[in-house]
Amino acid sequence: MSTPSAAQRFVRGILPENPVYRQMLGLCATLAVTNNLKSAVTMGAAVLFVLVCANLMVSLIRHWLTPHLRIVIFTLTIATFVTVADRLLAAFLYPMSKALGPYIPLIIVNCIIICRCEVCAAKQGPLTAVADALGQSLGFALALVSLAAVREILGTGMWFGFRVLPAAWPDWVIMVLPPGAFLTFGLLLGLANWISARRGGKEEA
Amino acid sequence: MKTSGMKNKDNDKTAAANAGFGPALTEVASSPHLVESGRTTRRMMIDVLLALVPVAGAAVYFFRWPAVRQMAICLAACLAAEALFALMRRHRPPLADGSAAVTALILALSLPVTAPWYTAVIGSVAAIGVGKALFGGLGMNLFNPAMVGRAFVMISFAGALGAAGYQDPGSSIDVMTQATPLTAFQQSGVSAGLADLFLGRTNGSLGETSALACLIGGLFLCIRRSAAWRIPAAMLAAAGIIALLDTGLGVEGWTAAHHLFSGAMLFGAFFIATDPVSSPLTPLGQIIYGAGIGALVMVIRLFSGYPEGVMFAVLLMNALTPLINRWTIPTPFGGQ
Amino acid sequence: MNAAVMTTDTMPAKRPWRDNALFQGWLVLLLAVVFGALLAGVQTALGPTIAANKRNETLSQVPALLAPASGAAATAKLEIDTRMLPVSRGGRTAVYRVHRARRDGQLAGWVVQTAGQGYADRIEVLVGLSPEADVITGLFVLDQKETPGLGAKIATAPWRRQFVGKPAAAPLEVVKGGGAGANQIDAITGATISSRAVVAIVNRALADVSSQLAADAGKAAP
Repeated sequence: MSTPSAAQRFVRGILPENPVYRQMLGLCATLAVTNNLKSAVTMGAAVLFVLVCANLMVSLIRHWLTPHLRIVIFTLTIATFVTVADRLLAAFLYPMSKALGPYIPLIIVNCIIICRCEVCAAKQGPLTAVADALGQSLGFALALVSLAAVREILGTGMWFGFRVLPAAWPDWVIMVLPPGAFLTFGLLLGLANWISARRGGKEEA
Repeated sequence: MKTSGMKNKDNDKTAAANAGFGPALTEVASSPHLVESGRTTRRMMIDVLLALVPVAGAAVYFFRWPAVRQMAICLAACLAAEALFALMRRHRPPLADGSAAVTALILALSLPVTAPWYTAVIGSVAAIGVGKALFGGLGMNLFNPAMVGRAFVMISFAGALGAAGYQDPGSSIDVMTQATPLTAFQQSGVSAGLADLFLGRTNGSLGETSALACLIGGLFLCIRRSAAWRIPAAMLAAAGIIALLDTGLGVEGWTAAHHLFSGAMLFGAFFIATDPVSSPLTPLGQIIYGAGIGALVMVIRLFSGYPEGVMFAVLLMNALTPLINRWTIPTPFGGQ
Repeated sequence: MNAAVMTTDTMPAKRPWRDNALFQGWLVLLLAVVFGALLAGVQTALGPTIAANKRNETLSQVPALLAPASGAAATAKLEIDTRMLPVSRGGRTAVYRVHRARRDGQLAGWVVQTAGQGYADRIEVLVGLSPEADVITGLFVLDQKETPGLGAKIATAPWRRQFVGKPAAAPLEVVKGGGAGANQIDAITGATISSRAVVAIVNRALADVSSQLAADAGKAAP
């Protein structure tokens, strides 16, 4: 098995190995912050920042890592950049920081990041690691946005807080509540499976 | 969109190709659905429809045309949804078995008469789609489809449905307030008379107001053995005992009998809790299940922000049904 | 994804110094110091902005919560100073954050920050009071997690406007359906509990602080 190139890593993260729909990682954040598009985009951006920084850092020091201490170092790195992201949001996007509440600090325990550090950054060079981080976080952002788009428009008739549907639209309040997250995620996951099944699973062989 | 999971199940090749990526949506372990020999789903459903006649009749008598309109919308939407989801799975629509019609009627009768038309439609699609088709169709569903649909719209459109929805005139908890167009059928206030509750001269969802109609239909179902009599018996007994403990012998004119005859208690006991798919199979299990619902209804009525709790009580106990079935498997003769 | 894969697949050849416990110890220590310095830098750079954001969140609401000024005072700049006001009543001690607003040295009103239990979670509100602390001049919901579509309506302007002009002396009460009495607040349809929670929070805060604020206002006047 040859090691995937930077371009392959980037492309795979977006759809074929989408962190949410294919790897089922980072679901806590996925379910929690997708009741509107603003939160979803902010969360996607925060994860992108943390993942790129963490992957780059880990990739740079990958030759020094030993198996038994690597997780400690991954966690240290991730926690640092998450804190930076949290502070940046609080300074420049205070309302979003307040709306996302604990979910920004919780990126520390988001499996997507530690998984990418382990799978890619600890083995491949900085360029590949950054490409991988970009692909995976774009895939994550795509998943968040797809869920939030469905939930926000059904639940409030709006996108990004702007009214899209006529004011007479009856808000499906359940969609912006936690049960709506599970329902929407289940249905979109089913859709993703259906699409990949219809393609005959060619690229999965 | 909703077929995604089911396609996998229908088409083993695709499912196999998809292996390694977690189970398909429909691979949910569910209780076996056994029907006594000689009893077909169709006969059972026709019994339920017959039993619903007095309830529907009372609804039409008290609420007039809006009640008819509500039932028609739900029937049309449920049958259409059933046909649509069956076709998406490339099955022949099983409309003749009557189960979709039963779901439609129960849903229609559990909504307040003021419910806007779209709530009935969305509720029906959610009931058949999310409540039944996603789990693999009739017999595979974990939850009572009508209650899934109702929960969906009650949470979504609480404002629009709260007006007349499950008012519990004398409960200590706030009833949702809104001037309803149903002035002729307005609730008689805090001191609702037992006779009014019994006959149905109170406000509420279509099917729940008349205790008498529910009793007639329910007893018919139990006598025909299309409903397990243990479930309503245990449910009403448990609720009655808790109500007695709470109210003593009638504080402020609100007695245990008021609790039993008000809200969706009787309608739920006979028509909702007894859904054969989502309730336990063993006699002991049915008693545990019924008593659990009765206790939960009273807990929700007395201690929560909701005035009525039949819907949530049934859904919660539905979730426990597989477990109850496991606990109460009868020991075979000679077994240990 | 296990250690074996890591060491055999793509990792470079073994280096004895790399597996030395001492080297690993220093590596972790060094990283911790570097990251710590990075975080300290970020905090130093952004700390003041974040603190200002938190302050402004409250203070930016203050002008809208006061009674509108008339005449020359309308153009005067609003000076706001904040202090903590401890109150003990009935064996209970509470500390309120009180913002005093002045225009041209003249007392323009008070904004009291308070919080209490709602239907879902804590509700945090700002209550605007007239200089004599006898009339409510505004209400703002800083933080709430009530049910969207129902209880969350406590944060909407039409509902909050009901509080404006109500007397601070008598407790407010929640009524259902068209309350218009001097001290009545109309409940939100389907969200009586949230409505009551806000009114209870406001009532408690006013009972606690209004007499003290009125006394302060008297002292401040020459």
